[in-house]
Amino acid sequence: MTAADPCAHCEEMMQPYLDRVLTDAERAEAETHLDECTYCRKRYRFEDQLRTFVRQAVQSEPMPLELKQKLADLRTPLQ
Amino acid sequence: MSETTREPDARRLATEARDRVRFEEDALALSDQVYRVARHLVGSRDDAEDLMQETYARAFRSWRSFQPGTNLRAWLLRILTNLNIDRGRRQQRTPDLQPLEEGDYFLYNKLEASGDGTTDEQRVVERLSQNDVVAALSEVPHDFRDVLVLVDIGDFTYADAAQILDIPIGTVMSRLHRGRRILKQAMAETAVGGEQE
Repeated sequence: MTAADPCAHCEEMMQPYLDRVLTDAERAEAETHLDECTYCRKRYRFEDQLRTFVRQAVQSEPMPLELKQKLADLRTPLQ
Repeated sequence: MSETTREPDARRLATEARDRVRFEEDALALSDQVYRVARHLVGSRDDAEDLMQETYARAFRSWRSFQPGTNLRAWLLRILTNLNIDRGRRQQRTPDLQPLEEGDYFLYNKLEASGDGTTDEQRVVERLSQNDVVAALSEVPHDFRDVLVLVDIGDFTYADAAQILDIPIGTVMSRLHRGRRILKQAMAETAVGGEQE
């Protein structure tokens, strides 16, 4: 890492890394640091699991069936 | 009108009817996914249901303006977010400057410090509950939450989210960055409380 504090730099790169929007060079830089640093690696794994957890937590409420029917009723009647 | 004129008209109408039915079926097939996003864009389940009905009513009326082959889910969400704004459900604007949120590692550090000493990432995540997440998400200011919900829950790309919300892609990225940090801060407060500073 090029910053004075490599872990602070890694923290800044964490979300773009998880979003897969880093350049090849930036990704390689992040991965090198994650390989070497237990502190950041733990937090990387946590962030990765947290994303899945958040997604699952908010998706558990299904659309009510009555609403589904109401939407279907909005269709244009066939002539 | 002669028979020869009526025949192409009839064919055109039949084609249009078929296209419309296909559009409506495609849109309805996406309704679960659209609802999942709508549910967390607005404050309550009732609002989400109203918004869904308004969205689908408008989509069915305006189906001709949808360009086949483009992203229908994004098109529906664009209608939904516009209606949400039009209906005044989200009148307050987020101030540009808010107290600086904590860093990305804040939530992990907080959970680790307040726990039983475990640093195993999976066990640290398990200290959060579903309610913590839902409650924390509702505390994220609208402008940040819109982006967060579209990208992290709706699985839209930055470009799709920019198009849906009609904002530059750079704004999507900066709001997402801050929105995630605000969410984690809210989760930390919900799960751990604010006493561990």
